[in-house]
Amino acid sequence: MKRSSLVGRYALISPAAILIFVFMLLPMLLMALMSWLEAGQFGGVKWGSYTPEAYLKFLFDRDLSDHLVFNTDYLSIFSRSFQLAGITTFLTLLTAFPVAFYIALQTPKHRTWLMLLITIPFWTNLLVRTYAWILLLRNGGLIDSSLHSLGVLNTPINAMYTPIAVQIGLVYAFLPFMVLPIYTSLEKLDWRLLEAAYDLYANRWQTMRRIVIPLAAPGMVAGCILVFVPALGTFFIPELLGGAKTLMIGNLIQQQFGVSRNWPFGAALSFALLAVVLMFMLIYALRFRGKGSLTQ
Amino acid sequence: MTALANAIVIDNIGMVFGAGLGAVRALDGVSLEIGSNEFFTLLGPSGCGKTTLLRLIAGFEQPSTGSISLYGQRLEGLMPFERPVNTVFQSYALFPHMSVAQNIAFGLEMQRKPRLEVQKIVADMLELVQLTGFEARKPAQLSGGQQQRVALARALANRPKVLLLDESLSALDAKLRKEMQLELKRLQLETGITFVFVTHDQEEALTMSDRIAVMKNGKLEQIGTPTEIYDFPRSRYVADFIGETNFLTGIAEANGLRLPDSQWLEVTHSRPPGSSVDVAVRPERAQIARDTNGLNAVVREVVYVGTDTVVYLEIAKEVFRVRMQNHGGAAKMVSVGDQIKLVIPPNAVRILEAES
Ligand SMILES: Nc1ncnc2c1ncn2[C@@H]1O[C@H](COP(=O)(O)OP(=O)(O)OP(=O)(O)O)[C@@H](O)[C@H]1O
Ligand SMILES: [Mg+2]
Repeated sequence: MKRSSLVGRYALISPAAILIFVFMLLPMLLMALMSWLEAGQFGGVKWGSYTPEAYLKFLFDRDLSDHLVFNTDYLSIFSRSFQLAGITTFLTLLTAFPVAFYIALQTPKHRTWLMLLITIPFWTNLLVRTYAWILLLRNGGLIDSSLHSLGVLNTPINAMYTPIAVQIGLVYAFLPFMVLPIYTSLEKLDWRLLEAAYDLYANRWQTMRRIVIPLAAPGMVAGCILVFVPALGTFFIPELLGGAKTLMIGNLIQQQFGVSRNWPFGAALSFALLAVVLMFMLIYALRFRGKGSLTQ
Repeated sequence: MTALANAIVIDNIGMVFGAGLGAVRALDGVSLEIGSNEFFTLLGPSGCGKTTLLRLIAGFEQPSTGSISLYGQRLEGLMPFERPVNTVFQSYALFPHMSVAQNIAFGLEMQRKPRLEVQKIVADMLELVQLTGFEARKPAQLSGGQQQRVALARALANRPKVLLLDESLSALDAKLRKEMQLELKRLQLETGITFVFVTHDQEEALTMSDRIAVMKNGKLEQIGTPTEIYDFPRSRYVADFIGETNFLTGIAEANGLRLPDSQWLEVTHSRPPGSSVDVAVRPERAQIARDTNGLNAVVREVVYVGTDTVVYLEIAKEVFRVRMQNHGGAAKMVSVGDQIKLVIPPNAVRILEAES
């Protein structure tokens, strides 16, 4: 009886297991393998010839006499990406929390409508919406021309193709991903706890800091992960709004599989990114398990 | 009564939730004066407005009409955290992300009490509610009764001028409940805290309170000491709510009532002759006898309840209970079906107000 139930259990989880294997594990293994291979001349890889070249390329250049020379070009793209993604996470957190809090305070009927408004941007393609930002940000665009006609400015704003434009695009694109999980955790909040805190002499700010924020923390962490990780990997927002000057890791990886035709390097970059992201998540997971909550 | 003796003055409070057709009148013209260091109990059935009245005092709700003062100070516009009042919530409302000790310390920390003092008070409170050793637990790891005791400790730790308790012993077993009742009484005598206690347990109200307010549908039905409420209930509602009571209805005549079966109940009253009068008689104030003057009644049931025996009689087509102590041996005389005499001393009969 025990045996058959065990078999039954394996049979039950096998579709999910197969799915995960085929669509997640297998491509990852393929990428890992690829990152240790030599690049093919016209893209692709040379199967069977192994080399650490792709990982070396990340930190070093080869000079004419084939010596390794330390090169920070790719590192600086990495650090810029982390900076942009980090600032995006911070700014979306800062703006999403009040929005989510406000929505959670409304009557259930109002909440549904407001959440619908938050999700409306998902109905159109992000690419299209990013193009729309070009119309807003470019010289002679909506912002530029209205600032001029209001007399606030008489030089062009030159906002396009700057890190700031990329930053605006990123915050815009990922804001809903922060609002949703924070709202979900605030919606579950027992508002009587706020009354209890008031009763125990906590003012509004103290109640926010000691009760609301700790209880919304799981949602905030989820939101941060949902924003930070994909923000790190985006490539068309920096490409459209930042031009060639504001490359992010995503662009770099995409180039390796495209114009540069260096698949192993692209795979190695992906793995470097994966390693760093996993490290971040591990730190968060350990912090959470160790303390149970974010307070004291 | 001097003005200072009053901790809380509630003046003609009305509270309406919602508007239009869906409006609920939770409180209606409630006026109360609660003395300093008094143990004051609000007693009434579910939905009569007890919690609403506490919430108005604590400041979570603004009254639709009327005003509340605390030690002479009007409370309008004061936020809950600005009022020297603490609440033990009916739903406990413990902070789920904090340990028991952090919960109890919260109010003290918000008042910026020194760390050492906070630790000492927390330890004292845990001892008081018999939860020493539970400091590090989270509320979710406690039983209902334990959670209730943490809620009690959390409010008491602040030694407020006024403590509002909303059915704060309801989740405890009989023994622990008795102990907590004694502790609360002891605290009241030691600390000078004014207690406003909500319960729908009349026995608890009678044993703990200095005064009781019986509420009905958002109105005050009667206010008085436990003895006043028990011995002189004003209305059928109060008499019924507090303790066991027998009701009889008769037509008023001089110096007595004529019961429906034409028997005569002697009692002094001031009602006009011919009017219908309700009276209440406590079961322990009536007696059963043979061969004396009394009302004719038939024994329907004899129930042994430990120290007492309750005899159910039938008189004027109504059930009438008589409670006798067992040690006298009187209960042994009666058995079901006996024709006996029911003796009701005239001073045991309470004339009740006509129901409005
Ligand atoms: N926020 C509210 N909105 C609408 N009606 C309410 C609200 N709060 C209470 N009421 C209504 O007011 C009345 C009194 O409620 P209250 O909570 O004061 O009762 P209670 O005496 O404490 O009852 P219980 O013994 O069940 O706790 C009830 O009819 C209740 O439905
Ligand atoms: Mg209540």
